[in-house]
Parts: sequence; structure tokens; C-alpha cells
Amino acid sequence: MIHARLIVDELRRQRVTDVLGVPDNASKALLDLLATEPAIRLLTVTREGEAFAIASGLWVGGRTPVVLIQNTGLLEAGDALRGTAMRMRVPLVCLVTVRGHARMAARGLRPSAESVNAELLSQPDLDSVAVLTEPTLRAWGVPWEVLSTDADLPRLAAAFRRGQEGEQPVAVLITTDTVA
Amino acid sequence: MTREDVLRPLAARRGQPVVVTTMGAVRPWARFSDHPLDFASADSAMGHAADFALGVALAQPQRKVVCLNGDGSMLMSLGTLVTIVASGATNFVLFVLQNDTYELTGNQAIPGAGRVDFAAMARAAGFSRVHAFADATAYETALPSILEGVGPVCVTLRVEPGAEGPLGRGPREAAAYLRPSLAESARLLRRALATRSGRT
Repeated sequence: MIHARLIVDELRRQRVTDVLGVPDNASKALLDLLATEPAIRLLTVTREGEAFAIASGLWVGGRTPVVLIQNTGLLEAGDALRGTAMRMRVPLVCLVTVRGHARMAARGLRPSAESVNAELLSQPDLDSVAVLTEPTLRAWGVPWEVLSTDADLPRLAAAFRRGQEGEQPVAVLITTDTVA
Repeated sequence: MTREDVLRPLAARRGQPVVVTTMGAVRPWARFSDHPLDFASADSAMGHAADFALGVALAQPQRKVVCLNGDGSMLMSLGTLVTIVASGATNFVLFVLQNDTYELTGNQAIPGAGRVDFAAMARAAGFSRVHAFADATAYETALPSILEGVGPVCVTLRVEPGAEGPLGRGPREAAAYLRPSLAESARLLRRALATRSGRT
């Protein structure tokens, strides 16, 4: 687990102005805390692709947005991410909760594009979206950092640096529930 | 009414709003306006002009933001109607040019062509100011009041199908705002907005 307060503190240090996304169970504590955070506007959108387009517009307008979605929504939003934040070179940090990570990690799997196939994706004891998350990011050219415990918080700051330096979106994979 | 009947009077009242165009409105708009706050959502992601424009509006609450959306694009992101209202943006004016076709790909009919009522959808999403026009004179008469006051505003316009071809970007484009890459266009708009709002 990872403490939501630590994430919010880092978002404040990075002068994040807006968080856009769609809720899930793993991000509940983080969303609850963000809802009480006066310095950050929280906007829930109707589907994840909207979050990338709105965030790109916010950045063009001078704000510092962050996207917060589940990995299922990341897959849904592929063309929006490609056609807005990637194509516009927006240094956008995207927090992605990784549904299915625990079961995948328990089996010691670290799928690559080459190892993903119909057999793997249809196994009942695996969540296929977890299997696809990292290979998809790699295919899309989106670098990522991983947050699994409180000790990983420096990776969040690193994601902001990578986004600025590369002028591109960077994903932060949150592989555990956020807690109050 | 024609698309030009919609764009010409709007450009004549251009002022300082950001104007985001997409699909069939991109090249025609450039025949009436060449402004640093014009932005073409072209070579981008279909269906995401209105939400991109909403982001600009939320970032620049002191400035009007106009989006010239198409009907096919609007159908791809109907939820954005709800998000616009829920966001509380009061400076956003959404035009939906309804010609009932995917014009750029050869005028194939959109789903629900002739029946889809975007004005009703906007009202159901919570827009308090909704206008629907099929007549150029009525539209032009109402335009000044549409562009003033508190939004968000949704304006649906029945226009004839045209013959706009696929969009591209590059130095040979007649429309000045299609010559830079999308990334460069985004940087130019960001810089223009920063200059006008005193940011560096």
C-alpha cells in the first residue's frame, strides 16, 4: 500500500493545479484526499480519453495538470493519448493504478510484447489488463515509473522530471491500493 | 445554410477568444480568420476537439473559448457535453455544425443522420444556454448575444454537406495554422496565451 498523503504532498511540490480522471478502488483514498485539497482542482470525466484531451488544453492554457486513471482506462484512451498529449509534446504525468498487478506478480510474470498472446490473456487466474499494461506503454513510446510502496515516492518526482526533459507524457504505475 | 454562413459572421466578430476548429471547419475557418489564438485540432485525435478546448477554457477563465465541432466528432465524445457543464466552465461556447455526414471521408452518413438532436442532448446534459439554427439570418442576428454573457453555451447549426477533403499539416497547406506540426501549434498557442495573460 501507499499513503495518499505522500502522493498529494509531491503533487503540491510539483505545483500541480488540476487532476483529471475516472475513479477506481485503488485510487479511492487518493481521490478522497484530493477532494479536500484546495490548491488542486479535481475534475471527474466521463471516459479516460477525455482526461488526456482536457489535460492537454489545460497545459496549453498554462496550468499543470495530472491524469489519474486505471490501466483499463489507459487502454481505452490510447488514441486520445496519442493524438493529444503525445502529439502535442505535453509534459504530462499520468498516474495509472494497475488492476490485476498482485495476481500477476504472485506468478512472477513480467510480460513483454513478445510473450503476450491469446493463451496468456485468457488465463482465468490472470487479469489480462495487467498483462498488457507495460507492453502497451512500451509500444506507445510512453516511459513509466513504478510506485509500489511509500519508499518509491522519489519515482513520482522523477516522472515529473522525465516529462519536462523529454517534453512528453510519463506514466506512473501505482501497483497497490492508496490508503489514507 | 452553408458552413460559410456560419463562419463568416463569427470571424467578423472574432475578437480575442481562442477558437478551436476541427474536421470540416478547419480549412474554411482559415479563409476568414488568421489569428494567433486560432487552433486546428487536426492531425490529432478525432472526437477530442471539444474536450481539448474545454481544457483551454478552464485554464483561461477570463477569456472566451469557442470550439467549432462537427456532428461526427460530437458523437464520438458525447460525454463531453456532461463534463463541460460539470466542470463549471462559464467561458465556453460550443458550436456543433451538423451536416449529418462524415464529410472528410466522403460524406458517409453519421449514425442517426437527420434525427440526432444535439440541442436536446445539450439541454439534457445541463447546458442552460442552448441555441439551434437552420437559418442563416436568424443565426447572424443572435450571434452577438451568443458570444456574450455567462456560458457554457451550445449552438447547433444545420449546414449543408460540403466537399472538404482529408486534413493534413505541412508547409504547403494554404491555411497558415496547418503549416506547423501539432506540437508546434500547441506551443505557439501556449506562448500566445502566456503573452496575453502576462505569464512568461
